[in-house]
Amino acid sequence: MKNEYIPKLARIVSIKEEVDGQRAIKTFRTQFVNKEDFSFKCGQSAMLSVLGKGESMISVSSSPLINDYLQFSILKSGRVTTALHEMEPGDVIGIRGPYGNGFPIEDWKGKNLIFIGGGIGLAPLWSIVQTAITKKEEYKDLLLIYGSRTSKDLVYKEELEELKKKMTIHLSVDNKEPDWKEFVGFVPNNVMDKKPLPENAIAVTCGPPVMIKFVIKALNDLGFKDDQIYTTVENKMKCGIGKCGRCNIGSHYICKNGPVYSWAVLKTLPQEY
Amino acid sequence: MQMILSKMNFSSWLKKLNSYRIFAPVKSGEVWSYELVEKPENIILDYPNTIIPPKKVLFPQREVLLEFESSSEQEIKLKEVIPEETPSVIFGIRSCDASGLAKLEKIFKGGFEDLYFSKRKNQTILVGLACNIPPSPDCFCTSVGGSPYSKDGLDILMTDMGDEYYVESVTEEGEKLIESAIGLFNDPEENVKKELEKIHLESEKKIKRYIKDIDKISSKLPEIFETEFWDKESLSCILCGICTYSCPVCHCFDINDEVICTFPLKGKRVRTWDNCQFPDFTMHSSGHNPRPDKASRLRQRIMHKFNYFNENCMELLCTGCGRCISKCPVGIDIVEVLEKVRVYEK
Repeated sequence: MKNEYIPKLARIVSIKEEVDGQRAIKTFRTQFVNKEDFSFKCGQSAMLSVLGKGESMISVSSSPLINDYLQFSILKSGRVTTALHEMEPGDVIGIRGPYGNGFPIEDWKGKNLIFIGGGIGLAPLWSIVQTAITKKEEYKDLLLIYGSRTSKDLVYKEELEELKKKMTIHLSVDNKEPDWKEFVGFVPNNVMDKKPLPENAIAVTCGPPVMIKFVIKALNDLGFKDDQIYTTVENKMKCGIGKCGRCNIGSHYICKNGPVYSWAVLKTLPQEY
Repeated sequence: MQMILSKMNFSSWLKKLNSYRIFAPVKSGEVWSYELVEKPENIILDYPNTIIPPKKVLFPQREVLLEFESSSEQEIKLKEVIPEETPSVIFGIRSCDASGLAKLEKIFKGGFEDLYFSKRKNQTILVGLACNIPPSPDCFCTSVGGSPYSKDGLDILMTDMGDEYYVESVTEEGEKLIESAIGLFNDPEENVKKELEKIHLESEKKIKRYIKDIDKISSKLPEIFETEFWDKESLSCILCGICTYSCPVCHCFDINDEVICTFPLKGKRVRTWDNCQFPDFTMHSSGHNPRPDKASRLRQRIMHKFNYFNENCMELLCTGCGRCISKCPVGIDIVEVLEKVRVYEK
């Protein structure tokens, strides 16, 4: 019988600084020290351990199609994420999981996929974006609308430039900046500006709660039905397996029943997130 | 299997069980609590109810999940710390607490199995004691699907019949425990069986607290989610948390790393009971708190017990033991709160 609370040891193989300053973000690639089975779905998360500091639930941002590493993009925020930011390549962390439901991407074959992200919210979306690009023949048009406060706060800057060759990407920053040629304004406004069509489409949005709220409103205004809109929810977690009792919204434990929800379901649950 | 055990033979039975660790209610100062008993002959099954329910034996207030050690950031050793396999018997469990353990088993074994709980549970035999008189003026088991002589969750149910105990096995494990000292037991006569029935029926009538229309309240709760009701009811709460620590089914926990030495790094990952009534229970590292006030936290406690758990497991997450009522220093009374829900009009 597997003991769910025991993490598998993994080595950090690379660290990339995405954003510096107050809201620093780093992207970590890890490899298990021993061979481990960690098959996961896009949108699932892993409980990362810094031994001596504790654990933190982080979404996997690499594609399940990649076998030789797991990638996590992490905003420096609490005790564990701060400790992670101080680590170096070669250091060992613990990983357990995967946890959560993941995105139902099997049901999305043959559809147009619209990804709408804000700030660090691109990380959980990145796993599906990478998967959808690799299996482009299975989907119709792919579109990414992504923004952050300033151009410095955008994650995956180089990767986005590369990705522009393969799919349509609309970036935005909140305020005017010299040399910024793309949209200026909040992400929901960019959505209204680009007007993606709801026909045969699924929109997936991830970012700060207030952004998600207005993105959903914008999508509804553009004719997207609630079951065409997907998002992810975050709450404080300790166990990751539906026991410790703190991440629930109504009768749902986000760690187990979430974090991915269609708006049709999420709107029926208490707003305790 | 239904047998009679003379009270004089009770300690002889316990002595025969010397291959088990025996837990029973022990009086310390003014309160009773479940403790490991070294001299089983000292056990007296005559007590109101314990201050902390027997969940503490299977789900300790503090337990080590793993140990870690590292000589450098590149080398870490983890050691799983799993409870020892020691067969145990808990004596004198009240029916409310036994059904509480059955609910905890569903929670800890359902979905991802929690090995720490299940290792202990699988090797523990639960011997109950029916409540001929209610152990607390605040208990209300019959309102939440229980009874003072319910066998739910038990391996054996004992009933005090004056000079003797009526001992009824519920499971095979229970039967074995009786058989291991079968010479001490007698077959019950017909009139004793009738007497037992009478005692049980009488005991139900002695319960003072009652919740009317619990099913209706359970389904009404979501309707009053967004009302001022919860502000008013939670006003007096002082965030002490006794309601959940003393609850036989509250199981929320925290996991933290305790560092013994920073270099070389050595420490333990520890699980401790936690409490949904505490502000930082749900607080994000950003400072955002989805349950930011007393109202939303009392609402969570009531909703979890009487609505959410019902939705997920088709039963209530309350056994009616009444501890949260008796122990609350400011008089928040779950039976009263539910009655107010029942009659509440927006």
